[in-house]
Amino acid sequence: MRPKTPILLEAIDVEKHYGKFAALGGVSLQVRANTVHSVIGPNGAGKTTLFHMLTGTKAVSGGRILFDGQDVTHEPDHRRVQRGIARSFQVTSLFLSLPVRENLRLGAQGVQPARALNPWHEPVGARAQSQVVDAVLSKVGLENLADTPAGNLSHGQQRRLEVGMALAARPKAIFLDEPTSGMGIDDLDDMKRLIKSLRDEHTVVLIEHNMNIVMDISDTVTVMQLGRVLAEGMPHDIRSDERVRTAYLGNMITGGKA
Amino acid sequence: MNIYLLQVINGIGIGMLYFLLAVGLSIVFGLLRFVNFAHGAFYLIGAYFCYQMTRWGMSFWLALVVVPLVVGAIGWATEKLVLRHVYASDHEFHILVTVGLALAVQELVILQWGPLGDSVAVPDSLQGVVMWGSFIYPKYRLFVIGFTSVLAVLLWWVLEGTRLGSAVRAGSESTEMVSLLGINVLRIFSLVFGLGAATAALAGVLASPIRGAEPFMGIEALAVAFVVVVVGGLGSFSGALLGGLMIGIVQSVMSTLWPEGARLMIYVAMAAVLLLRPHGLLGRKE
Amino acid sequence: MKKYTHFLFAAVVVVAMPLLMQSGSLASEVLIFALAAMGCNLLLGFTGLLSFGQGIFFGLGSYTVALLLTRWPVPMPLALLLATVMGALGAAVVGWVAIRQRGTYFVMLTLAFAQMFYFIAYTATGLTGGDNGLMDIPRPNVSILGFDLWTLASPWQFYGFVSLIFLVVFWLLLKVSRSTFGRTLLAVRDNEERAAAIGYNLRLLKLQAFVISGAVTGLAGALHAMMTGLAPLSNAEYHTSEMILVMTVIGGTGNLFASLLGSAFYLLLADWLSQLWPRWLLLLGIALMAVSLWMQRGLWGLGETVWNRLQGHRKQSAGTVVAPSAAAVPAKGEQA
Repeated sequence: MRPKTPILLEAIDVEKHYGKFAALGGVSLQVRANTVHSVIGPNGAGKTTLFHMLTGTKAVSGGRILFDGQDVTHEPDHRRVQRGIARSFQVTSLFLSLPVRENLRLGAQGVQPARALNPWHEPVGARAQSQVVDAVLSKVGLENLADTPAGNLSHGQQRRLEVGMALAARPKAIFLDEPTSGMGIDDLDDMKRLIKSLRDEHTVVLIEHNMNIVMDISDTVTVMQLGRVLAEGMPHDIRSDERVRTAYLGNMITGGKA
Repeated sequence: MNIYLLQVINGIGIGMLYFLLAVGLSIVFGLLRFVNFAHGAFYLIGAYFCYQMTRWGMSFWLALVVVPLVVGAIGWATEKLVLRHVYASDHEFHILVTVGLALAVQELVILQWGPLGDSVAVPDSLQGVVMWGSFIYPKYRLFVIGFTSVLAVLLWWVLEGTRLGSAVRAGSESTEMVSLLGINVLRIFSLVFGLGAATAALAGVLASPIRGAEPFMGIEALAVAFVVVVVGGLGSFSGALLGGLMIGIVQSVMSTLWPEGARLMIYVAMAAVLLLRPHGLLGRKE
Repeated sequence: MKKYTHFLFAAVVVVAMPLLMQSGSLASEVLIFALAAMGCNLLLGFTGLLSFGQGIFFGLGSYTVALLLTRWPVPMPLALLLATVMGALGAAVVGWVAIRQRGTYFVMLTLAFAQMFYFIAYTATGLTGGDNGLMDIPRPNVSILGFDLWTLASPWQFYGFVSLIFLVVFWLLLKVSRSTFGRTLLAVRDNEERAAAIGYNLRLLKLQAFVISGAVTGLAGALHAMMTGLAPLSNAEYHTSEMILVMTVIGGTGNLFASLLGSAFYLLLADWLSQLWPRWLLLLGIALMAVSLWMQRGLWGLGETVWNRLQGHRKQSAGTVVAPSAAAVPAKGEQA
């Protein structure tokens, strides 16, 4: 059992409405530093919406979000990046026409966006942040493809680059939205090892459908259903929780929303 | 008769024409995610076809029916043959293709009818004025207001009450969903684009007895349509109506107060609305 | 040096034109509109912003230099500088409002603003001469402290002056395109949402691009006014903005030298064809459609393709070239 680390990120009664539709109905969550915290649940549970709230991609309709002790509820995503929150996307969203190395450089640069306005100096030497970029390249295993346009990578490689983009920002908290989606078995193992290795330097919040990975590497699992938290705890507790089983099994048998 | 009342009524008439001009653009955008820079060109050839038909001795009424159908068919064919190939490219090329088309159409018009412009006679049955006590007003302009109002109701009914309309509105939300439901999205695209062209041409026909037909009217019409759509909110039917009326009345009233600045005031009004409501009066946040 | 090959190309063209062409005015016009096209390219090819408002800044530049040179004894270099600043200011204003919108809304706004500027110019006859425009703009010699260093009276003399300015601005824009800013713009063009998500302030980036574009276009307008002696209302017309866009697209977006190609192509063609057929713009409209459908990388892209073919596919992208696999259905729910 690892000792409990301080709470890095907290959501308090977060709500999100799209018109009359309530995507999130009062979600509270605590993420501890240097843990892998997974968010799971059937489709439509509101996992990605919760991510959008926590990373600032979209604004909350109600509730608060605290990061590192600060209230960041109303800060947009580009501000939160500077605080140390970075995310990857469920649907790959890279700079397809640019080389892998450039994608990562942009990710690293994003933490100091004022530098991006510099219309004179080229991003070479110190400005290229090569140390960070090279470190990330080796971490995600894409060193050989550094000069390839991102659009030419295989799906699995693109998913790894997605994670790399978030890593390049050297965040305190990294949000991975279904990082393994669409991956084949070989890629899966690599990704699992990658995510597990992130725990030492970062805090990982993870949406995943692959239970194998979730149960294997998570410290905490939060189960969501229909916009609310259904259960939360350590993997083996969740695995044996009746409510969770019903929510998932019910889903599988009837094929509809639980 | 009170001059301001006169100008307000003029403004309503112009505004309804602006609405007709803008609504096609707005609907096409809502569904195809496409701003058709050749929209003004359809307006242009609408006016010129009407002119040509009257030159051949046919009645204005015939033109009113035939021209929108013909131009609508041209629009339908343009979407099918040309525009469809550009959807996969970056959005700037969607726009540039239609810019090229507009330029080509304008030059063809000059080639055919000369650069100077021509006038179109008001149909005999609508010449002269209407007199109700102290209220005196040109018959034709009253007709325009009445006719476009009926048309607005008709269009509203098509959009809200028919299956085609539902498909168009659903398609504005998600073309994927619509095609999954088994509706041939591409066919609707062509139809809608043709409808947009037809409404623009109809506006051109209706405007021609008032403004004549002149080769550069396409660009001005395009800019005004943009202003109406931006003011009213892109993709909104009622926004096009509200925006059109507002812009029409502003222009008309200003033409009494400050004639040279009347057209400028359209754009000033647009800037004012945008500062207060960046997505237009009735626009949705994308 | 590989980095500055494009600059070399530009220099070659600048030197070649007096040798190959008869008209100094036409040659100057090519460079002047190349400047405007580069300004447009910075927005379109680098930032992904399609602006129909370039005529505003071109017109502002013309009017400014006309007013400064005709009404007050302002030294010519200062007048040019102030025209450039006016172009930048105009772009800052238009940009600040237009950039709030994205995509198509933005494009429509630039057109609406262009029309607005046209009508302002039309009505402010005291400043702009309205329909007539401003006339009799002098072309002062370049002088310091009363000593005439350089006469610009003849067309080719003026060409020398314009080409110097052109090369300097070209070099500056090359630096901008290669800078951190320029590279970030490319990312914005590629995937705006991701750029915002990783921390970039899109508004500031786009605004800065706008301001630089406006400055360069304003300078072009000023030089044009000096060349023709006129600051006509037509500079603020839709057709001017359209023309600049067409040059940019036909030349090829994303490449500054391509804008010189586009400008030369358009103006030389116009000069030749307009004598044969007054309706030559019809062909241009068709050409624009053709380029948008089939030749999206413009003349430069065409050149690159031909060059590659001749080289026998010597250039290949480095590293693995693997097509992205079709998305497999992700595993959902518990595994059996």
